Amino acid sequence: MITFVIALNTFREAVRDKILYVLVAFGILLILVSKAIGFVSFGQDFKIMADMGLTAIWMFSGMVSIFVGTGLIYKEIDKRSIYTILSKPTERWQFLLGKYFGLALTTLVNMAFLSTAFFLYMWLSGAPVTIAMCQALFLTFVEMLVITAVAIFFSSASTPILSAIFTTIIFFFGQLTKFIVDLATVLKGSVDSPEAKARADFVGGLLYKLYLVLPNLHNFNIRLDAVHADPGEWIHTREMLPVTVYGLAYAAAVLMLAHLVFARRNF
Amino acid sequence: MANSSSDSAIRTAGLGMTYSPGLFQPTKVGLQNLDLEVPKGSIYGYLGQNGAGKTTTIKILTGLQFSTTGSAWIFGGDVRNSATRKSIGFMPENPYFYEYLSADETLDFYGKLSGMDRTSRKRRTDELLTEFGLNHARTINMRNYSKGMRQRLGLAQAMLHSPPLVILDEPMSGLDPMGRRDVRNAILKLRDNGQTVFFSSHILGDVEEICDRVCVLNQGKKVAEGPIASLLEHKIIEVKLAFTGVATEGNPVVVKLATRQWHDGVQYHVLVDSEEKAAQITDLLQKNGAVLRAMIPHKESLEEYFVRVTMADGGAGPEYASRTKA
Repeated sequence: MITFVIALNTFREAVRDKILYVLVAFGILLILVSKAIGFVSFGQDFKIMADMGLTAIWMFSGMVSIFVGTGLIYKEIDKRSIYTILSKPTERWQFLLGKYFGLALTTLVNMAFLSTAFFLYMWLSGAPVTIAMCQALFLTFVEMLVITAVAIFFSSASTPILSAIFTTIIFFFGQLTKFIVDLATVLKGSVDSPEAKARADFVGGLLYKLYLVLPNLHNFNIRLDAVHADPGEWIHTREMLPVTVYGLAYAAAVLMLAHLVFARRNF
Repeated sequence: MANSSSDSAIRTAGLGMTYSPGLFQPTKVGLQNLDLEVPKGSIYGYLGQNGAGKTTTIKILTGLQFSTTGSAWIFGGDVRNSATRKSIGFMPENPYFYEYLSADETLDFYGKLSGMDRTSRKRRTDELLTEFGLNHARTINMRNYSKGMRQRLGLAQAMLHSPPLVILDEPMSGLDPMGRRDVRNAILKLRDNGQTVFFSSHILGDVEEICDRVCVLNQGKKVAEGPIASLLEHKIIEVKLAFTGVATEGNPVVVKLATRQWHDGVQYHVLVDSEEKAAQITDLLQKNGAVLRAMIPHKESLEEYFVRVTMADGGAGPEYASRTKA
């Protein structure tokens, strides 16, 4: 109940903050601009529109998660509004989880707005709206749940600027995990001398550990396949559930880490 | 761990707190071996200079900080247990609320956190907003509230669920005289309802006026504690005399006995530190033809007591000490 109250309050605060509307407006603008770019691509205009639309929704949802999420806990501590909340019969994990769900709800509503604008625009332009696009948007939302958890983790331990930097780095490198693990394999197999091999093994090992720690956000990106799918066609049917479970488990693990940090803090 | 002494609203035993300000910096002591006992139904003043450990104690009691040694209980329940905080209403110093919420929404939010049902939340919100004169501004966002209005809303949220213990950190800070009077009245009303109030303040006149007991803290240590009436010395510590007719300045007896004397253009004023000296000077001057216009005895105030015990503990810095001597 308390988690729900805090979540709803976080959502209410977020939707009344003008910064959210600016981000949504920019997102819608980018969706609209996609048609202009589509005009110059012969015969591919609908695909360009779909690709740009899905990417705009992903990018602006990511921005909301990062920029709202990284300031969320810190602002409570800095402004001292946390004093009146934690002095109530509230557990710290309830506060943290409430903040997380509040931001997740904000992201969901933000994505719903952008997706509605995107689908409406596609439909008005005579472009097909496909099931695969909905699948892509669903996985984008799961990805945002992961990024929101990462943002909350850093926000519970650091300043908004540092948190935003760290979360952005993870957001960026999380897209490249596939290349990181490939690089580790290539490194290990690319040298002959024992010394160089030892160094390559060491660096390769580090890269592999990095791959294990970073969220594999590449898994959530089925946007390109969604753009090329036929209307009514389901894509990646086997991967949808495991990828969703992976995202939720990763977010839960990060939130548990955040709780470990947050539960010991003195305010 | 429950505490058998649940006759107290607050009890601490050996409470201590050390801080590490940063890497390579020496550890700081915030609180040292603090034993407190706040009786139920009392108004308890918690006094100390800036940095004496008042807010640290309050934060430990409200679950915002964790003590490094010792324990604290509220109505017998360990303060580390969140359920214990059901009995507390807390207002921090300079309270801050969510900018985009109105007073109605803010109180509704805190009411939900305190486990109140919808009807009680609505009723108490109406009562408290009326009591604190915020009814006209109940739909305005917090960002448009003045400091005094936030302070009053802070009190309202602390009292919302009618907790048996209300903890206030500097509740009079930054308020105008009318605002201070409202806060004093609100605190007295809480005691009349049988609730306990524990508050820190620098405004010692207010503390003296409304508190039953006080505790003076210096550098994290308790240096005095008890009912105000028993702490303050009842003997006359200063007498102010006012004469006309004869100049007191230059009189060798007055110079010898007075701690201070001055002429305001109409009357000659003499300050002495005992009733005996006042009688000696009065006799002498009246024999010389002076007319006694006023004799005002002065007992020790809480502020003077506070300075005395703090100085005796060596807590006041040299700058503060020289100022008080002057």
